[in-house]
Amino acid sequence: MKSLVLVKHVPDSNSVFRIDRAGAWVDQANLSFTVNDFDRYALEELLKLKDTGAVQEVVALTVGPAEAASALRTCLATGADRGIHVKDEALPAYDPFAVARAIHAAIASENFSLILAGLQAEDDNYTQVGGLLAGLLDLPYASAAVGLSLVNGSRLRVERELENNELQVLDLSIPAVVAVQTGMNSPRYASLKGIMAAKKKSVVTLTLKDIGLDAASLSGKLRSVSLSPPPKGKGAEMLSGSPEEIAKALVTRIREKTGVL
Amino acid sequence: MATVLVLAEHDGTNPKEITFEILGMAQKLAAGGLVKALLVGENLTPMASQLAERGANEVLTFEAPALRQYTADAHARALSPALAAESADLLLLPHTPNGWDLAPLLAARFSGPVATGCSKIALENGKGRFTRKAFNGKFLHEVEIGGMRPLIATVEKGASTPCEGATSGTIRSVALESADLDARSQHVEIRKAASGGLDLAQAPIIVSVGRGVGAPEKLDVVRELADALGAQLGASRAVTDAGWLPHEHQIGSSGVSVSPRLYLACGISGAIQHVVGMKSSGYVVAINKDPDAPIFGVADVGVVGDLFEMVPALTKAIREAKP
Repeated sequence: MKSLVLVKHVPDSNSVFRIDRAGAWVDQANLSFTVNDFDRYALEELLKLKDTGAVQEVVALTVGPAEAASALRTCLATGADRGIHVKDEALPAYDPFAVARAIHAAIASENFSLILAGLQAEDDNYTQVGGLLAGLLDLPYASAAVGLSLVNGSRLRVERELENNELQVLDLSIPAVVAVQTGMNSPRYASLKGIMAAKKKSVVTLTLKDIGLDAASLSGKLRSVSLSPPPKGKGAEMLSGSPEEIAKALVTRIREKTGVL
Repeated sequence: MATVLVLAEHDGTNPKEITFEILGMAQKLAAGGLVKALLVGENLTPMASQLAERGANEVLTFEAPALRQYTADAHARALSPALAAESADLLLLPHTPNGWDLAPLLAARFSGPVATGCSKIALENGKGRFTRKAFNGKFLHEVEIGGMRPLIATVEKGASTPCEGATSGTIRSVALESADLDARSQHVEIRKAASGGLDLAQAPIIVSVGRGVGAPEKLDVVRELADALGAQLGASRAVTDAGWLPHEHQIGSSGVSVSPRLYLACGISGAIQHVVGMKSSGYVVAINKDPDAPIFGVADVGVVGDLFEMVPALTKAIREAKP
């Protein structure tokens, strides 16, 4: 069984973000980038299936600028077998549908039985590229997976996270697309041996032309208009002073406001 | 004037509250046009009547044994032909696990993206302006989508109030084209996530810990504060994902929703999925080293500082204050 994991190169979520001059996204300067956290869990799930022999090949694919190749290198060092990098300045990477179409076109000649994506990207939180791809491929789909197993080698049993501590268990026929939630496993890290081995693994870089698309047909339907700090709400009363002084002030407030002391 | 479709989420017996909220939003956006609810499942007549009275001008029912339990594939296959026939301007779904599951499958049929997690929507000249959150709630993000019909969005809980006036909508059963809707995807069961018996939902005092604690062996400093207060220990998703505490400690949209008299957030940034689970707390104290952390927007009192200095000092002060 051939499998695919979709990965995105995103700013580290612990970064201090500043809004860019156009006011429409974050300033990319001075940010460190990493593999989207959700995607690390998706990759690990495929590597686990490969460990058991259920999956023979794990391919990692990213859509993004030249720097996004580092996300693929991380995947290869962690255990993915090869990489596909869709890279074209004309690609409107800010539009999740354009990204899904590019992925769809890039894998047209492959025959993946199982495609995993992260539930969402940590930067735009769009929560849809996996589902859009499933729609384009006309394959069954489930999102927010926290459990995944093969039943009789022919069906996929998925546990989906719902609200209020509930899970839905469902079966999908294969091929299928699944978007995974964080926490579903413990992602492994690249070993030194893995990093050395990754240097021999192949990464294919594809332009829009290579995958039979052009910028005109892929024009973005979504554009980012503005990014702004969220309203502060009522705003907290901020305390300052030494830890001891603040502790004393907190005890007073907790006693007055909650009566629990 | 616009035609707005609303996917009704329900529990099998009643539409969920978010459905009525979205119908309220849809009536404003329709501006005199039609609001049509899409109701999918089995034994739908009682629910269809509720929707027809509370915000829908028309209710389209999609009824089949294969649709009794939700799966994205069966729902998308049932809805897609009808959606194309309706030629609506906008389709709204709830931003819930099933809403964000289904929305992109439908969007792919209409060759466009989904505006996800919207708190505000405006329509103008065939385009939609959608206000949502990005970077885990650190920013409000406004996007514009055009060139697809219907535009498709998922709407956050609490984004709108339900319809005020009553409607007297009609109900229409949609004939389903496919007989084997569940051929590729079958519901097995709904079950509770594993639990060790912790009942955070009823706890009067909760001390909650986030990624800021840094490592599992450092949790003790927060545990001591919880002990001093007689509090239960809660956690953000980052802490339970990392396995530092079991899943049952997780507070938020996918974990437990809590409403204690006192909620003490230590090293929690306040991502949206955490905040929805604790915002009905009586009194919220937040300690975080990042002055811009969104948690300070929902806290009553905040301290910018190192939790490893602040929490032990607070533990000591509480022990001294206790009779």
